[in-house]
Amino acid sequence: MSEHVKEINAAEYETEVLRSREPVVLDFYSTECPPCEALAPKFESVAEQYAGRARFVKIFRQGNRELATKLGVTGSPTLVFFKAGMEVGERMTGEEIKKTAIKAQLESMLH
Amino acid sequence: MAERYDLIVIGAGPAGLAAAIYASRARIKTLVVDESVPGGQVKTTHKVSNYPGFPEDISGKELANAMAMQATRFGTRLAKAVEITSHDLSGKEKRLVLDEEEEVVAPAVIVATGAKPRELGLPGESRFKGRGISWCATCDGAYFDGKDLHVVGGGNSAVEESLFLTQFARSVTIIHQFEEFQAEPASVHEALENPKIRTLLAHEPRAFHGETTLERIEVEDLRSKERKVLPTEGVFIFVGMQPRTDILKPYVQLAPGGYVETNDSMETAVPGLYAAGDLRVKRFRQITTAVADGTIAALAAQKYLKGHK
Repeated sequence: MSEHVKEINAAEYETEVLRSREPVVLDFYSTECPPCEALAPKFESVAEQYAGRARFVKIFRQGNRELATKLGVTGSPTLVFFKAGMEVGERMTGEEIKKTAIKAQLESMLH
Repeated sequence: MAERYDLIVIGAGPAGLAAAIYASRARIKTLVVDESVPGGQVKTTHKVSNYPGFPEDISGKELANAMAMQATRFGTRLAKAVEITSHDLSGKEKRLVLDEEEEVVAPAVIVATGAKPRELGLPGESRFKGRGISWCATCDGAYFDGKDLHVVGGGNSAVEESLFLTQFARSVTIIHQFEEFQAEPASVHEALENPKIRTLLAHEPRAFHGETTLERIEVEDLRSKERKVLPTEGVFIFVGMQPRTDILKPYVQLAPGGYVETNDSMETAVPGLYAAGDLRVKRFRQITTAVADGTIAALAAQKYLKGHK
C-alpha cells in the first residue's frame, strides 16, 4: 500500500475518520472482489494527488463487520466520504467507480 | 508525444483478450485498456462450466487471468484500471487519452467493452445500491452470512448465482416474472433441489423500501395483480445486461437497446473501427461467442493494417 493510503480497523475509525481535520474518503474492501482490485490503483493515485488536503483510509470489511453493518455498507468496494465527522455526498460502490468521479466529489468537499 | 500502436483494444474481457492474443501473435503492436482488472463479466462469475477445454469447472477469475497472461505472453501491453478520458476514433489515426495524461494512437481500434448488469429502474433501487442491493454475488455474497435474501431474475446468472449465495445465506428466494426459469435445465434442477432455495414465480419486484438500508421488497403477483411487501435482508439482481457502447456513440448509429451493428468481419461503419463481444447486435452472448468475435476482429484488423501501411 502506498504512503498516501492508510489501512485502519474499526477501533481507529473514531480518531482516523470522524476526528480527522481533513476530509476523509473511507474505502470498504473485501478479498475475492475484482472490483476492489480494480479500485485500489485508482484510489492510490487520487490519494497521491490529494496528499495533505484529504485523507484516504481503507478498511477490510471481513475483519470489521460490525462497523460495516453500523454504516449500512453491504457491498465492496464502497467509498464513504466524511467532512468534520459527518458523512457527506454520495457513496460510490461497485465496479463503476471512476477516478474522475472521486476527484469531482473531493473538489466539491474542499471548496 | 503520443505512443503509437498498431491496434488498441478497449476492454479486457474474453472478446478483447482473444483479439489481443491473435493480434500480438501476428506481431501487431497491441495495447489493451480496461477500466478494471482483466476478465470483464467473467471475472465475477463464480464458476464457468461450459467453456471448452476445462473438463472440471473453472472459476471465472482464473479463466480471465489465464486469458490475460496468454495475451501478455505474446507481447500485448495490458493497461488495467485506466479511464479513457477523451477519444477520437473517427479518422485514419485513432486517438485515446488515458487518465487525462497519456495519449495513445493506432490506425485500428477494437471496441470490446461488453455489457454491464442491467438495473431494474425501480423506486429505491439506486438509494439502496451497496446498502442491501447488489449485482455481484462474488463480491458481496459474504456480507450476507446467515441472512434471508432475494434474487431477482430467472436466467442462468440468476439461478447459478443463487446457488452460490446459498453458501452464505440462510435462504434465497428467487423472484421471477415467468412461470418457469429460463436457465439451463441442469442448473434449475440443482437449484430446485437445494433446501435453501425458494421460488416466487410469476412475481415481479415493484419497489424497495427501508430507512438507511434495505428492509423490504415490494412485489406484484402477476396472476392476481396483488401487491405484497416482503421483509428482506438483501437483494441480488440478475436481469440481463446492457451494452457499454457510450464510447461508440459519437461515431456510429447505435441499434435499439444501445447495441452496435457490425458486418461479418466485426467492422463498424467507420474504417478501422471494430466491435467484438456482447456489445454487438447478435442473438447469443456467451464467453465462446465473445472469443469468436474477438478472433474475427483481430484477423480483420490485421488485413486492414496491411492495406493501411
